[in-house]
Amino acid sequence: MRQINEQYKYKQLEIYKESLELRHIKTKTLVVNVLNVVFAVVVAFFLFRLDVESRTIFGVSFMFLMLLLINVGLYALADDLYNNLKLAMYVTTIGEYIIATTLIILFQTPSIFTSLFLAYAITSIYQENKVMLISNFSLFISGFLLALSFDQIFSIPGNTAIQNMFIIIFLLLFVMLLTLSSYILIKRKSFFYNHLAQIKESEVRNMDLLMEIEHIRTKQKLNSESYYKALERFSSELSKKIGIENVFARKIQLLRDLKKTNIGDLLEKYPEYTIEQINEIKNMELAVNTKMRNIGIKASKTKDIEVSRKEIFSESQFKSFKHTTDDTYVKIIAFVVFYVMLKTDKPYLKEMDEDQIKDMLQYSEYFYLIDRDVIDVYLNNNEVFDTVVSDLLKEEWNYEPHR
Amino acid sequence: MNRIVERIRNSEFLTFSEVLRLKVAIVTLFQTIFILLTIPISSINQFTVDIDVFIPLALALLIVLTILFTIVNFNRFAMHTSIITIIILTLYYTSTTNHFYGYIMFFVTLTVVIFYQDIVTYLLYGGATAGYGIWYIIDKGGSIIGTNSINADVSMQTYIIILAGFYVVFLIQFLISDNIYEKMNNEWVRMNKILGRYQDFSQRHLMEMLEEHDETPLYRDNKFQQTIGELCIFINEFFEEDAAKITEVVEYYFFLHGQEIEEIVGNKNASVTARRYALQLEKYLLDRRSELTSILFDFATLFKPSDAYEENRYNYNLDELLHDRIDKLLSLAILYRYLKTEVTQFDKWGNIKDTLTHEQITELFLSKEFREFISYEQVNFYLDNEDLFREHL
Repeated sequence: MRQINEQYKYKQLEIYKESLELRHIKTKTLVVNVLNVVFAVVVAFFLFRLDVESRTIFGVSFMFLMLLLINVGLYALADDLYNNLKLAMYVTTIGEYIIATTLIILFQTPSIFTSLFLAYAITSIYQENKVMLISNFSLFISGFLLALSFDQIFSIPGNTAIQNMFIIIFLLLFVMLLTLSSYILIKRKSFFYNHLAQIKESEVRNMDLLMEIEHIRTKQKLNSESYYKALERFSSELSKKIGIENVFARKIQLLRDLKKTNIGDLLEKYPEYTIEQINEIKNMELAVNTKMRNIGIKASKTKDIEVSRKEIFSESQFKSFKHTTDDTYVKIIAFVVFYVMLKTDKPYLKEMDEDQIKDMLQYSEYFYLIDRDVIDVYLNNNEVFDTVVSDLLKEEWNYEPHR
Repeated sequence: MNRIVERIRNSEFLTFSEVLRLKVAIVTLFQTIFILLTIPISSINQFTVDIDVFIPLALALLIVLTILFTIVNFNRFAMHTSIITIIILTLYYTSTTNHFYGYIMFFVTLTVVIFYQDIVTYLLYGGATAGYGIWYIIDKGGSIIGTNSINADVSMQTYIIILAGFYVVFLIQFLISDNIYEKMNNEWVRMNKILGRYQDFSQRHLMEMLEEHDETPLYRDNKFQQTIGELCIFINEFFEEDAAKITEVVEYYFFLHGQEIEEIVGNKNASVTARRYALQLEKYLLDRRSELTSILFDFATLFKPSDAYEENRYNYNLDELLHDRIDKLLSLAILYRYLKTEVTQFDKWGNIKDTLTHEQITELFLSKEFREFISYEQVNFYLDNEDLFREHL
């Protein structure tokens, strides 16, 4: 089975995805707890209606209360909130099934048996991998153990043993369908997180690439000194205008020193600043750091960008070599041109050798950009591709690889 | 089968339509099993023989129709037929009384509709299924009350509340995920467009570099064209024997470089095939920023050294990055100077030559989208001291 090789991914993605996810986990935790409170009230209402012993009512209510308290407690711990909320999710998921199973064992009727489905529905709000595993496993195990050990649950007047067997088959199919569906839905959730995290990193890297290409062409780099001089003129005039002492000059000097002086010396030379403040000021340094340059590039390009509603989930927004509207010939040409371009030296990327290209195309996300039949032909015959390129493109050009 | 399993495992990398096809395939597989189950179950039901034969046959035909729709890539139609099939199946299973598995079918149907993750579909089909389920319990629920039941009314109400709860909880889940994913995708599409602009400039630099050095672009080189042609023919041999057609398309692909695609597409004298291929091949041309060149740029970035992740790596807001007032003013001045002195714009001939004027920068600073970079406070400071910015930066 193919696996994506981690080295073909941006290494910054995982941490950012965590921060993206944290925002949404908070909302989901809140919603699940509100639903639990609602269902606790409904369950209590029915227990009262059935004149169940108060000890039972207290026991069930206590379980709901415990779940709520655990969630509130973990939410309140500010340190490592991401993992705390994940723990809250797992505890809640297991708790839901414990409560549902308790109710089923208490009443042993087919109607209460379906509370397992409700437990599943509530925990599905989290849309999280481990929650899905726990939830599906709990549904499967509790459902089938109950069906086997407490067969009187499904005892309906006039029912036969065969019908009971069909119930088990239906449950099995239902759980399998739920498992597959939740697995794919969670994978799709990763798709959105992945895409957003990837494009954020891609933006930074594309700005660097743009600057690299610009430098190759113009042989010029951003002149930091001219900026600092302009800042001195500007701040001096500003100070005069508002009638204060020039408080900017020392900071501008600090910006210059940030290029060459180490942090220890800086703290000694500028005792009025803490290490945190100096690190923050580094964002403005222009000779070594790229933050201000990147802000400038982005700011210069964001004018008049509009997103229409129909573009939001439109497939045309995704770049690939296998658009469904394209003919097979076009899919072949797109891949071949891409492949040959990788084998060619470019100003911004040296040519790649065959093994590297094959490995990347097989074990990176680029595999999914190419039509499956086309990539299969390549992967099974890559030596032929390599030979054709060497014979036709390189040898007759007196080809000398750049190393 | 291996391919389906692999697609399920890697479904986060598939496009929307590929995922829809995969979902339809999975649902169809389950439906087939449920339809096959109607054969042994028919012995329990009290239907006449024609219904026991006619309904499974009609359902099988619907399955065939679903498969046909996926083959011709009408995935949305396939989705609808698969939902209709499962609803009919549920109607069939719930037509007789005394069958608890009939009640389970409501959850199965809702799960299928949820699986497609389309809110309108869920409201329509899901709502109808839940509504029918509630009516079914009111009408026939008495026949599936357990023998252990203390109170038949409570059992009926439990059935109804759990089914309605299942529907409502998933509706809430839909609303939450729709909201989250729409926002995320909106941001993604916007960033994708900005990324396109960086790549427009990267591509233009490369083209200007060729012009400045009087070099022939790769796509005009005979050997390059020949290599592409040979490799295309080689791949095509796995699909069809005749190489003439793909050779023609490859030639046409190289011809399109340097052409205005819009003109070709709009030219009524050009054949439909020529216009169709022009439109399809435009995405992969090398003389402009196309999908292919964008993918190449993205690919290249994987091999470039880059700083490790830190909290503000993707934050471009000066007001959030810096907390000292003096820093905020100085950074605003740096940004202004960058926009005013660095070449960041195309001139009217499409070359990278222009900078922004003071007026254009002011317009940018005042624009709503610029709140991503600077605060209102910084804008007010800028407006109060506009003359100093213009003269000294």
